[in-house]
Amino acid sequence: MSFSEFLLQNLQQFWELTGFYNATWQHFVMLGVGLFFIWLAIKKDFEPMLLVPIGFGMLIGNIPFNTEAGLEIGIYEEGSVLNILYNGVSAGWYPPLIFLGIGAMTDFSALIANPKLMLIGAAAQFGIFGAYMVALLLGFAPDQAGAIAIIGGADGPTAIFLSSKLAPNLMGAIAVSAYSYMALVPVIQPPIMRLLTTKHERVIKMKPARAVSQNEKIIFPIVGLLLTCFVVPSGIPLLGMLFFGNLLRECGVCTRLAKTASNAMTDMVTILLGMTVGASTQASEFLTAQTIGIFALGFMAFIIASTSGVLFVKLFNLFLPSSKKINPLIGNAGVSAVPMSARISNNLGLEYDPSNYLLMHAMGPNVAGVIGSAVAAGVLLGFLA
Amino acid sequence: MIGLTTKTFNITRMKRNILLLLVAIAVGSLTLSAQGRRSLRINEVMVQNENDYVDDYGQRGAWIELFNSSFAPLQISSIFITDDPNEPTKYQVPLGDVRTKLHKRSHILFWADGYKTRGATHLNFKLVPGVDNWIGVYDADGITLIDSVTVPASLTADQSYARRFDGDSDGWEIRSSEEGFNPVTPAGFNHVKEGNSKAAMFAEQDEHGFGMAVIAMCVVFSALLLLSVCFYIISKIGERTASSNKAKAQAHTGEMVSTERPSHDSGEEIAAIVMALHDHLDAHDTESTILTINKVKRAYSPWSSKLYNMRQLPHK
Repeated sequence: MSFSEFLLQNLQQFWELTGFYNATWQHFVMLGVGLFFIWLAIKKDFEPMLLVPIGFGMLIGNIPFNTEAGLEIGIYEEGSVLNILYNGVSAGWYPPLIFLGIGAMTDFSALIANPKLMLIGAAAQFGIFGAYMVALLLGFAPDQAGAIAIIGGADGPTAIFLSSKLAPNLMGAIAVSAYSYMALVPVIQPPIMRLLTTKHERVIKMKPARAVSQNEKIIFPIVGLLLTCFVVPSGIPLLGMLFFGNLLRECGVCTRLAKTASNAMTDMVTILLGMTVGASTQASEFLTAQTIGIFALGFMAFIIASTSGVLFVKLFNLFLPSSKKINPLIGNAGVSAVPMSARISNNLGLEYDPSNYLLMHAMGPNVAGVIGSAVAAGVLLGFLA
Repeated sequence: MIGLTTKTFNITRMKRNILLLLVAIAVGSLTLSAQGRRSLRINEVMVQNENDYVDDYGQRGAWIELFNSSFAPLQISSIFITDDPNEPTKYQVPLGDVRTKLHKRSHILFWADGYKTRGATHLNFKLVPGVDNWIGVYDADGITLIDSVTVPASLTADQSYARRFDGDSDGWEIRSSEEGFNPVTPAGFNHVKEGNSKAAMFAEQDEHGFGMAVIAMCVVFSALLLLSVCFYIISKIGERTASSNKAKAQAHTGEMVSTERPSHDSGEEIAAIVMALHDHLDAHDTESTILTINKVKRAYSPWSSKLYNMRQLPHK
């Protein structure tokens, strides 16, 4: 073999390892989706903290390479760096850490001051089970249907946690779908809220919430954990961490831990979670007809959840005296996209009455939605795993 | 003297706390260990092995299968396996053998062939065909019985006595490779699940998901309703405690404490009163420092410029 032939052979081998050689149209579609997410985050300011890591993760996960070369670089190849980072998603330990941060960030005062608002958070979970029924109709198996339906809970970590247990093969699509719809809450929810409420209902002014004592705030995570986890022990990983984070925040003697849990730790886990979820959408695994079905079902679940939240408030109002009526615009906040959906209630309320601030009232069902979706995930896990 | 006493008291208290903590940890670890060992089960036994499973030495012997029924790894070294209730410490599983660490829901096979020199999984006793064989597994203390079974004398060659479902206490059955029996499964699951049985059952029983939706919504509602009622009660107790504390405080001082500000006390009025008092009393702080603006000369270099520094983060 001459030297030139030797060089040519090696160059040929190198060429076969490049992304250009291994690229398929599916890779370019997924790269396009990743770029679209990054564009949405930067230009449109749609949940940049989620969409930038997910979008960039999609670029990382969809760079074509020779999967048979044993390079150990792909997210699904055991021992690769991405695979090690992906363990937090596949084994389901990133979501509870995120819940710890959410607990440490969330002030449950609005909920404690007006406990009946918790029921709105429960009603909105019908989105999950409505979507479950439709998924069964479309031919998904019950465990897959449960994993897809949890998108209606509008809670990314819960969706990842449940899908990693019930349908690991669908996790990428479910996670991306859940986070995408959470980012699109400002687009999806307002038309539903306008459609289901009258002008008169939109301007209902609610009484300011009473001041909540420090003792009540400390008791809440303890009692909350015991009650909810005794009912649904399979919710322990999520609810346990949520309430633990909240106790760190409220007890007043673990300020340093609460700050770390709500800032540094949550940021780190969010980066890793977003990036690995994005990278898990490898074209070969992701671009299937099933994925399109999951996206459609997720969208429907979101609509059902928002609708049932608003309708439940209207129903609830029938039994309340006129001085204690609830503004149905806070019904959408029963989905647990914290605090996006509560912000939407507030913005829409201000649109119809500039002096009607609904944010604190909406935060009640919003955080109840977090608890409700974790309980719903626990039920699905208990029934179907 | 008082300082010394306080210091001694603090040290004593600290020592007591450390001691309490150590006791709690010790009790906790004991409980954990006990909980783990309790999940060990005798799962399947073969007394007369003529044509069945072969050991590492290529020989056939009676075997006892143990099963870790928990979902956590379990270290079984130092437990006792015996065929005599009067001699619970007959064979102790040795320390240091990697096979004695059972993964979650996994099995280990012990050969009751009397050849204890052949390794940790060979017992120092044999099972006897044609009679009832009692087998017991004791914890490391040699007293606590973890599990036991009496294998019936009716068992013939190549038949095993096994639990219907692994680790389940419901029932035992005779197994054989012959037709009409469930198969013998040494070091394997007695009952093999095909797919997700729960999901399959739901698919069969609740085809449209209506049952699941109703039950699950009831659970979610009850959990949050329970929480809601609980906090309603807690807030009422809080309000009562606050009002009773207030009443006590009033009784103690003998004064009426008003929580409401008089309507004429507006913010503007209070500010005006404060400014008037300030002017009247000529009250102000004395500052010891002087605020000036001086030009400071510094050698400029683009390398030290923050403007060009790469650590600057862009802001929208």
